[in-house]
Amino acid sequence: MGIRKILFFILIVIVVNVSARPVSWTQGSTLMAYSNNMKNSIYYHFSPTYKFSLGLEMVEDKVFDNSYAYFRFTRLLNRKNTQNSQRNLYFRSGVSSKQWASYFLGLQGDWETRRLFAGFNVNLIESGNRDYFDQSYQVGIAPYLGEFGDLHTWIMVKTKRNSVADEWSTFPLVRLFKGDVMLEVGYNGETSWDAHLMYRF
Amino acid sequence: MKILLLTIIFFSTQVFSHSKEHTSHAPHAHSADAKLVDGKIENLDSDRFDRFISDLKGYKVAVVSVKGMVCDFCARGIQKTFNKRDEIKKVDVDLDKGKVLLAFTSSATIDFEEIKKTIQSNGQTAVDMEIINI
Repeated sequence: MGIRKILFFILIVIVVNVSARPVSWTQGSTLMAYSNNMKNSIYYHFSPTYKFSLGLEMVEDKVFDNSYAYFRFTRLLNRKNTQNSQRNLYFRSGVSSKQWASYFLGLQGDWETRRLFAGFNVNLIESGNRDYFDQSYQVGIAPYLGEFGDLHTWIMVKTKRNSVADEWSTFPLVRLFKGDVMLEVGYNGETSWDAHLMYRF
Repeated sequence: MKILLLTIIFFSTQVFSHSKEHTSHAPHAHSADAKLVDGKIENLDSDRFDRFISDLKGYKVAVVSVKGMVCDFCARGIQKTFNKRDEIKKVDVDLDKGKVLLAFTSSATIDFEEIKKTIQSNGQTAVDMEIINI
């Protein structure tokens, strides 16, 4: 394991983990770390309003073995609040620092109650060398309902596929959040760790 | 690795499965001499409300009904934003009932439209508010 990977792993452990929402509250900031079989990344975004965020993501691309930054823009396309649920649809995009021809476009959606969660994420990635498509779908259940400020836990199943590996990978995840920190970690024997850590401030 | 992950999942469900039972009855009308001055109170956890007002003699409490407040992480911004305001002494979020409790100083003017905008800026929807003098 290289020094960069070790430092990245330490950062994940220290900062804690993943968040579901790609846009924060008005004037809110978010720091994320993400690691899976495709990439390691650290992503900061700022939300001028609750409807969009601007950010910078530093990426270690495992597919094409290089590193670059994404200048990212995410827009909340639709949100429906009800008494017991919230549903969201986001447009996601990023332009690489390598070249303008390297970018990604995606859609992310979720629906959740205090007990249930369902979400998806689809992205078209143009790397300059070749383009590929990745998609993931996730469902979860909260085994208990915590109060505001408690540790909240979700047990989830995620399935994902990208057109480079061209095979589906399905695995369990646990999502934990408390206060301003959220962590999501899953493991699959073939694709190894899938970890997402998020801190909002 | 799978065993490690399954172990984490198992312990997280066991250790933190002590979710509290909530009562859903109306607040005690006599709680700390609380007096309803605007609106009507529905679906409020009276025990939680009593705990909230236990040190708020002379304050006004706005009980705001909010839609879309389904997770702690999402509601966090509501607390942060209201905590910045000088006229607000205390903030509580009841995820179970979809209520935000705001304790205002007695001289403060409570404007529902302003509260609505603040909650909207966090991404949720405020639909109703009651004010109670403590």
